[in-house]
Amino acid sequence: MSTVSETNSRGHSARRLRIDGWRWGGRAFLVFMLLYTALPMIWMLLTSIKSGFAAMQFPPQWWPDQPTLDSYQKLLDPQNSVGQDFLRFFWNSLIVSTATTILSVIVAVPAAYAFSRFTFPGRNFLFFAVLLRNMFPAVIFLVPLFILMRAIGLVNTHGSLVLTYLTFGLPLAIWLLKGFYDNIPVQLEQAARIDGATRFQAFMLIVMPLSTPGIIATAIYSFIGAWNEYIYAYTFLSKNEQLTLPVGIQRFFSENTTDFPGLMAASFMMSVPVVVLFLLLQRYFVRALTEGAVKH
Amino acid sequence: MTTVSGKAEARRTLQSARSDVLRKMWEHRADYAYVLPAIAVMLIVIAYPIYYTIELSFFNTPPGLQLRDKIFVGFNNYTAILTSGVFWQVTFNTLIWTVASTFFSFVLGFAAALALHRDFVGRGVLRAILIIPWVISAVAASYIWKWIYHSDFGIIGAILVELGWAERPPNFIDSVSTVLPSLIVVNIWREFPFAMIMMTAGLQTVPEQLLRAAKVDGANAWQRFWHVTFPHLRNVSTVTILLLAVANFNSFIIPWIMTGGGPSNASHIWITHIYELAFGRQRWGVASAYSVLLFIILMTLGYFYVRALSGNERKDDSA
Repeated sequence: MSTVSETNSRGHSARRLRIDGWRWGGRAFLVFMLLYTALPMIWMLLTSIKSGFAAMQFPPQWWPDQPTLDSYQKLLDPQNSVGQDFLRFFWNSLIVSTATTILSVIVAVPAAYAFSRFTFPGRNFLFFAVLLRNMFPAVIFLVPLFILMRAIGLVNTHGSLVLTYLTFGLPLAIWLLKGFYDNIPVQLEQAARIDGATRFQAFMLIVMPLSTPGIIATAIYSFIGAWNEYIYAYTFLSKNEQLTLPVGIQRFFSENTTDFPGLMAASFMMSVPVVVLFLLLQRYFVRALTEGAVKH
Repeated sequence: MTTVSGKAEARRTLQSARSDVLRKMWEHRADYAYVLPAIAVMLIVIAYPIYYTIELSFFNTPPGLQLRDKIFVGFNNYTAILTSGVFWQVTFNTLIWTVASTFFSFVLGFAAALALHRDFVGRGVLRAILIIPWVISAVAASYIWKWIYHSDFGIIGAILVELGWAERPPNFIDSVSTVLPSLIVVNIWREFPFAMIMMTAGLQTVPEQLLRAAKVDGANAWQRFWHVTFPHLRNVSTVTILLLAVANFNSFIIPWIMTGGGPSNASHIWITHIYELAFGRQRWGVASAYSVLLFIILMTLGYFYVRALSGNERKDDSA
């Protein structure tokens, strides 16, 4: 009798031990991932508050002896040439990304709605044609697009960037939004139509408010994509005053190869807007993926 | 007599079928207006470039893109590529880069999503921190890691020396044998959060009741994962892996900024190589031929991508 209960309890504790093993393994793994993710970013911040001399030491100063904000002041000072350039690049990036975001929402919303609601011939074909855009790397389109942009006079303008960025944000935007519209019952719109609303009114008053999270997710995605884009900006723009941040920083630091604190400060400031934007709105993004893409 | 009338009938149904499609298209003419802006932009920026790339791949072009002077060379560009040693080296690098990056990004991202699935204090903050590398610009990431790998003042080298594991800081990205793995580590750093987001979203669709029922029936943690959670995530996993594979295959920024493909081509992958051929050496014809080959590979991958997606759709219809 006692032996039976003993084996029972031992089996029980063994199982508990195994579950705990999983849990501890998971915790150890998360600590590892946290270090892998965060240490490079911490090192960027620590370097950015060192002087150029303090950064170039071996062994390194693990913690800066004399922390200084010189690099940030230099980049944000409109009086000197470095600050002027940096602020201009920042402004250019902001304009291009905002224009791209607004246009993608305007183009993607009706397209996604049509793909979700209407059954016109060629619907599936067009839908997958749009998705296939995801497959191709920017480089393939560079030469012909460069020639095309030159022909229509858009080289060295921000318009060339907005037009191209629009296309690579669109596929995922349309896909996400379509998933959203699929989940909104048609009956809601039909009820509105019966009450005398036009198709457009039903769309604006019923469907749009319900799909706001999807639209926000789409907007974040377009903005971040445009803000971080490098290869088209690198190829289409050659005038210094038009460069966007990624290319501007690269140009600048290929001339000042040893100013690592300045480079780290610039990298940090370039990351702040998108990181803040994403962290504020990330729950919409995960929700959009769950409802739009994954549940499908 | 009967066969003739049969043929005529067949022709008539064919005609009516055709006019049926046209009539349907006409009836739905307003619907196309919704899709038109998207399709128009896509046509300008995608269809035209594809056509143009294919055309250019059969020509020899002089430097400076004086395209009136291009010379037709048939398949010469293609044979030149396939017989060059660089092609095989770059293809080998691309394979290692794509497979290793995709595999580790997916495994780490999936594991992180699972570990973060159970609620605990600070979960939201931790998840947010893990996503940051995916959000920041690849250019910034490249510079951060270039500084970390720096051969004189890099922090990893310094740590290795402090621990006594190395005499002097190793040359991570200036040495042929270590450059590719070093860049892959950077790429995984940037890509695993995407897998984590996708799998987190996927995990939320696994029905709680099923897991609880399995637990009642005595399934342990591993069995619950393998028999309940994992089958539910098969579609998300397929889509995530394909998207990762395509993104990695198409990488450019990290190798371009960190090494420019060097030393001695050890970190050149397809895209950086094409870019250098076109914009560095102005060999547009060869670069276009490379692009066409790339197309063919990507279309094959794309076929599986569409099949995975439409597999989802079909299940949706039957449900």
